[in-house]
Amino acid sequence: MSEFKRQHPIAAVSRVLSLIRENLITIIILLFIGTSRTQGYFIYFLLGGLAIALIGGVFGWWVFKYRVYEEELQIKKGIFVKNQLYLSKDRIQVIDITEGILQRMFGLVKVEVKTAGGGTETATISAITREEAEALRTELRKRKNGKEQELQEESEAVAQNQEEEVEVLDSWKLSTRDLVFAAFTSSNFGVIASILGAVSGQLDEFINEETVRYVYDMAPGYSNVTVIVGLVVAIIVISWLLSFLGVIFKYSDFRLQKTKKELIITSGLLERKHITVPFNRIQAVRYVEGVIRQPLGYGMLYVESAGFNQSDKGRSIVLVPYLAASRITEFLGDFLDDYSMPELNVTPPKRAKWRYIRRINYAMLVIVPLLWWLLDYGWLSILAVPILSWLGWLRYRDAAYGVSEELIHLRYRTISRTTAVVKRRRVQNVELSENPFQKNKQLNTLKVTVASGAGGMGFEIEDLDSGQAHQVLQWLMEGKATLTSADTEIEEGVPQQD
Amino acid sequence: MNQEPGTRINENAVKAWTVNACLYGLLWFIPPALYVAIAVGETIDSSAAWYSQISWLLMGSLTVVALTLYVLTALVFPKLRWKRWKYDVSEKEVDMLRGIIIKKRTLVPINRVQHVDTRQGPVYRKFGLSSVTISTAATTHEIPALDDQTADDLRDKISTLVRKVKEDV
Repeated sequence: MSEFKRQHPIAAVSRVLSLIRENLITIIILLFIGTSRTQGYFIYFLLGGLAIALIGGVFGWWVFKYRVYEEELQIKKGIFVKNQLYLSKDRIQVIDITEGILQRMFGLVKVEVKTAGGGTETATISAITREEAEALRTELRKRKNGKEQELQEESEAVAQNQEEEVEVLDSWKLSTRDLVFAAFTSSNFGVIASILGAVSGQLDEFINEETVRYVYDMAPGYSNVTVIVGLVVAIIVISWLLSFLGVIFKYSDFRLQKTKKELIITSGLLERKHITVPFNRIQAVRYVEGVIRQPLGYGMLYVESAGFNQSDKGRSIVLVPYLAASRITEFLGDFLDDYSMPELNVTPPKRAKWRYIRRINYAMLVIVPLLWWLLDYGWLSILAVPILSWLGWLRYRDAAYGVSEELIHLRYRTISRTTAVVKRRRVQNVELSENPFQKNKQLNTLKVTVASGAGGMGFEIEDLDSGQAHQVLQWLMEGKATLTSADTEIEEGVPQQD
Repeated sequence: MNQEPGTRINENAVKAWTVNACLYGLLWFIPPALYVAIAVGETIDSSAAWYSQISWLLMGSLTVVALTLYVLTALVFPKLRWKRWKYDVSEKEVDMLRGIIIKKRTLVPINRVQHVDTRQGPVYRKFGLSSVTISTAATTHEIPALDDQTADDLRDKISTLVRKVKEDV
């Protein structure tokens, strides 16, 4: 593969489409403003813009050439500013192959080549045939064994080795039942509902006398209150439906495969994503039980992966969209056998209980008076106090950690409950903090940070006994922790000095 | 392990931070100044006295807030911050203790360190101070206000330790 090649011509169209998608909001805003002010001329502007984009797309396709030459992937592109991108093979971390809707119609794929470290560049080849993509991938992956292959006697072993590397050792599929349940219990709908709510608040122009009268004519005998309640219900139903469909589209035909060196995830209905996670880049395993899923005994399993895309702040990859809590151990044994779950034997002491319940209510000290003052029934917000207190108590009950020689297992709750397992050699740092109130009660907040994407991700447990929190420091350095008892003499009500 | 770190940072840190806070602290006075400017601006076209639009209560409280913050950040905090700051660098870890009101202790294993560098702003230079910045794959930590020689030595020491550990593995 030493000749420069062009992509499939469809790349030109895909470029125009991605240009439109990136500027969708601008276009919609312009459409709204434009149509009302310029009486139709606007459509010519829009068509003109589209034509320019198309011509640009065709030229962009024409000048985009790629080849694999010696130890590099070389890409030439740029219409006005010539851009030559050379990625050295041994810098390449991840090669993602995706099938977009457009690509699928023509049997094509998109290839993204990502490198690690500062000044990360992603090379995207947006439309080539699947065979070409596979060939490109093997070509780029060959490097490590390239030199060895020159030696005749080793070449066979290497070939065998490569075969072993791609051989699927174990695989897992998301059943249709689980997919439907995952979609049912997705908590995305809260987010979508608030967006819809915000948007409907902006519809003042749309809701005028005429539409109101129209609604009354359509549905006689309904009062304002029923209309408002109806609107709220409609928002909830629509957003729940959107989130339901979102999950279905994203995780349809979800497959997880394990090879010797990496996990391969393939999923999606219209756009099929293909993600490769090398084992040696996994920083932590995280299991999140949402409020709806936890009572059913299910949650979502993620892995944190370090270091390739600067634009992705965190790189959390969904490993299983819907997994029973009771099956985690079995699953880890099959797919991530160097991870297990050490017993959670350290919990916050009893003297921290009221701190957990109180802390979550501090915000209410401001919110309740404010709502009371602003809204007619604002004082009703005081009803949130028992609910929040209950959440605080749940947080207290769920907080825990446990260590084995090489692993730490942390569990905490914000709203969903998160369980994280981190290898000792993947912990970037441990931080203990203590505010004056915690100092009085000999409590510490523990934070364990791991690398994720280009940044870090912290797992934080509040109000652990100081002594037990400090054990984590010892564990980090020595791999063992001498556990002391949870409730020291303070618990017995012995007055203690500051 | 439960032993807290023991090395203090340079005493000139208090002076350097005070100077820094005195300069940057002037920003606190922008809100009252801006408020007065707007209030005076409103009287330009009328015959009212220039101060007639100023609400003395509002301006007074803005100034008091600014003054309190100024005094706190410039005179009180540097001393407290210096008193708390301690660090230790051993063969296996970098241990840091810091915080003014909330006490924070951070432990970074040496073999997670990706790079170390020293930094010096204009105020630090005046006092012959530098800070050492330690970066891992996830976070960046700073040991502030060491005298130049100590900072350089510490940087070299950490980078030597890191190289040694990485060769071992």
